[in-house]
Amino acid sequence: MQIICISRGTMSGGKQLAEGLAKKLLYQCLSREDLIEAAIREGIQVGKIETALMKPGLFTERLALEREHYIAFTTAYLCDKVKDGPLVYHGRTGHLLLPGVNHVLRVRVVADWDYRIKAAMKQLNVDRVKAQRYLEAVDEDRRRWAHNLYGVSGDEAGQYDIVINLEQLSVDNAVAALTTISQLPDFQMTPASRRVMDNLNLGARVRLALARDERTGRTGFKVRADNGGVTVTYLPQDSKAAQFIQPVTAGVAGIKELQATMAATNLLWIQEEFKPQSDSFHQVVEIATKWNAAVELVRFESGDAVADSAEKSADPAPVEAAPRAYDGGIEDDVEEAAEGKAGGLAETLEELARLGRSGGGHQVAGGHEHLLKAVDRTAPYTLVVVGDVFLDKSHAVRTRLNRELRSYLSDHIRAPVVGVEDLKSQYLFTKKDALSALLYLGLTAIIYYLVFTHQEPLLNFFVGEEWKTKLMAAVGVFVCTPIVAFLYGNVAKSFLKLIKME
Amino acid sequence: MIDYIIPNFIVLDLGSALQVVLLGFIGGVLSGFIGSGGAFFMTPGMMNLGISGVVAVGSNISHKFGKAMMGSKKHGELGNVDKRLGAFLILTSFAGIRLAVWINSMLFSGGGGGSHGEGGGDAASNLYISLVFVCILSLVAISMLRDALKSGDENGSGPSMKIANFLANIHLPPYVHFPVADVRVSLWVLMLVGLATGYLAGTIGVGGFIGVPAMIYVFGVPTAVAAGTELYLAMFMGAFGALNYAYQGYVDIRLMMLLYLGSLVGIYIGTYGTKVVKEVVIRIVTGSIILLCVVSRGVAIPIYLRQLHLISYDPAWDNYFNLGSKIMLFAAGISGCLLILVNVVKAYRQRRQIQSQIFQAPAEA
Repeated sequence: MQIICISRGTMSGGKQLAEGLAKKLLYQCLSREDLIEAAIREGIQVGKIETALMKPGLFTERLALEREHYIAFTTAYLCDKVKDGPLVYHGRTGHLLLPGVNHVLRVRVVADWDYRIKAAMKQLNVDRVKAQRYLEAVDEDRRRWAHNLYGVSGDEAGQYDIVINLEQLSVDNAVAALTTISQLPDFQMTPASRRVMDNLNLGARVRLALARDERTGRTGFKVRADNGGVTVTYLPQDSKAAQFIQPVTAGVAGIKELQATMAATNLLWIQEEFKPQSDSFHQVVEIATKWNAAVELVRFESGDAVADSAEKSADPAPVEAAPRAYDGGIEDDVEEAAEGKAGGLAETLEELARLGRSGGGHQVAGGHEHLLKAVDRTAPYTLVVVGDVFLDKSHAVRTRLNRELRSYLSDHIRAPVVGVEDLKSQYLFTKKDALSALLYLGLTAIIYYLVFTHQEPLLNFFVGEEWKTKLMAAVGVFVCTPIVAFLYGNVAKSFLKLIKME
Repeated sequence: MIDYIIPNFIVLDLGSALQVVLLGFIGGVLSGFIGSGGAFFMTPGMMNLGISGVVAVGSNISHKFGKAMMGSKKHGELGNVDKRLGAFLILTSFAGIRLAVWINSMLFSGGGGGSHGEGGGDAASNLYISLVFVCILSLVAISMLRDALKSGDENGSGPSMKIANFLANIHLPPYVHFPVADVRVSLWVLMLVGLATGYLAGTIGVGGFIGVPAMIYVFGVPTAVAAGTELYLAMFMGAFGALNYAYQGYVDIRLMMLLYLGSLVGIYIGTYGTKVVKEVVIRIVTGSIILLCVVSRGVAIPIYLRQLHLISYDPAWDNYFNLGSKIMLFAAGISGCLLILVNVVKAYRQRRQIQSQIFQAPAEA
């Protein structure tokens, strides 16, 4: 079923466009106001969330839970609506409601600043200055909403498939243009995009079930779903509530397997082929255990391979790995089982689950931007590990592309991004660490010995009367302080790394 | 009676040296747990050991310089530092530090030519530092406890935003945009916050208690970026404060080094603690510890008032006041620290237990 999401600015004419388009295409029309009304009926304190999102300092643990509840509710509500037929949704940041679903046509409606001011003056019956202030405030609130709820800026044109300016274009002609665009194959549902939506829907319904039950409603669970496999992660302090995950979610249709993982943080591991027997797997698990982190796997197939398959299927939209033909909703168990094991993902997830470190996993194919879309940018990742990708390339090309991918991810994800080959040297205690710790310890001991055996002359130097002596004392402190902090800091860091308590 | 090796600096025997290391450790644990510099505990603790307030502040701010340098590097790697915001705050914070150093130096060198004890500038400076400490940290502790208790309440809506809303609603151009923190702030509000942060960092070494809440509540900066940027700012403020206090001869490099011995280990343990303790508990523990530190400093104030001849009582009572203040401070620090350590050890053991169960299961099967 097709979905058209129209992101509209205040007084930009987006509402008329959405209603006109829905009427022309005979689609359902859903506004943000309808969605909010439904969320309020659900018992979500939307007003409080809005205020808190505009002023981030207000965010309490309770409101953070309400936000989770709200996101889960809106996702599930939209997915359920789509089951009834194709849909036009219009409202603030509509294009972000179903992340990664490629058949969503994302439209941004803008209008000239002067046009908007005039519309605001007319509608609110205020003077020009007040109308301008009002629009500036609303735009700022909208920007903060997008940033705090979805971790992105709502103003970037690159987030939309099409941006429409209603200054010159009439609403009727814009409706006609969008009607044509919506018929393009790029915006039709594919088995892959349907699966992404099913995953989102299942994850949202599980989260919603947890939020609705009083035994689990006050706990900040994170839920990921992939082809019926659901992973719920929770913080160590919430382990009491975690015992109710199974009974609370038992009634949610579509769950084939449920994993609950206790984790204080998340570690994202991107690779093309996973092997649970490999050294890199053991290193990732060791680090995850040390940090009490859940490991989320992303099996990433690079762009070229996908481009080939896309050409063959005449579907230019990014697809999930190993795309299959549309089956009319009838799933083949055998095929799915084989597909799930591609690249060792299922096997590795199983092993991670056994070790209590599974944070779920999924497959992505396409370019860097498709990979980024598949990553939950609101999730608190502590580390992103990029393993072997671009396996079909030569060693030199693979190294360069890998470096470029890491650099791209570093620019967009707020967590350190490292190559799998650097894990051992950076995060695990090695012989090299032991040697450098000994060196730093020796140097620290020498400095402390010299200072504490020459206290009187040293302190006399620091209380000199002459301006030159005073200046030298100041420079001495300025230079010594970072040296001591650096040397001893590294000793302390190595010691804690050794006892796995960084 | 305190022995001085040379003017400004006390004799350090093994016992007092170990006490400074302990102060550093507790301060480090609290600092990692709370996310501030820990000076609210270390400065009064050093004063209780007989170290002049101005030397305690000077040594502490130098210690803060190195510690913040190590911390901000890590935050920088995580993308939590808005250097542009830091740069704007640094400029005015330097003015605040200069003001603080000037007041402290004037008080210390005046009224007795910097002598120690009866009627001297030492007492005037100690009194001034203690009063600023008590006033500012009482406000911080009370609002923190009130917010923590409110957020535990079903209908609690979080911290009071009256002042923040008032400042945010004043239209004061020009505005500056900060891309990493993704906020737009009035230049005048920025300057005011920078000045206050610098003044408090220079006077009692706790600029972060003003800087971080201001960045979060007034500027709207995300919490992680506020903490990272504050640490970045603290590095420059620490460097500038260290240069200023060292030029005046008020930095005891021995104390700074002893503080490092404890604090750089403690800070990691404290940070680990935040991952295993609920947010509301963190706020209650933090507020209670700060409040006890305030009361402890308050108990020492009569000593300075008597030394300045503003009140009179038998000088023998000074020892009791000092001892009471010291016991209260250490009790607050140690109990807070123990609470954090117990949770850390519990979580650490729980982790090991789960691991061993996981690894045993297939072997038994």
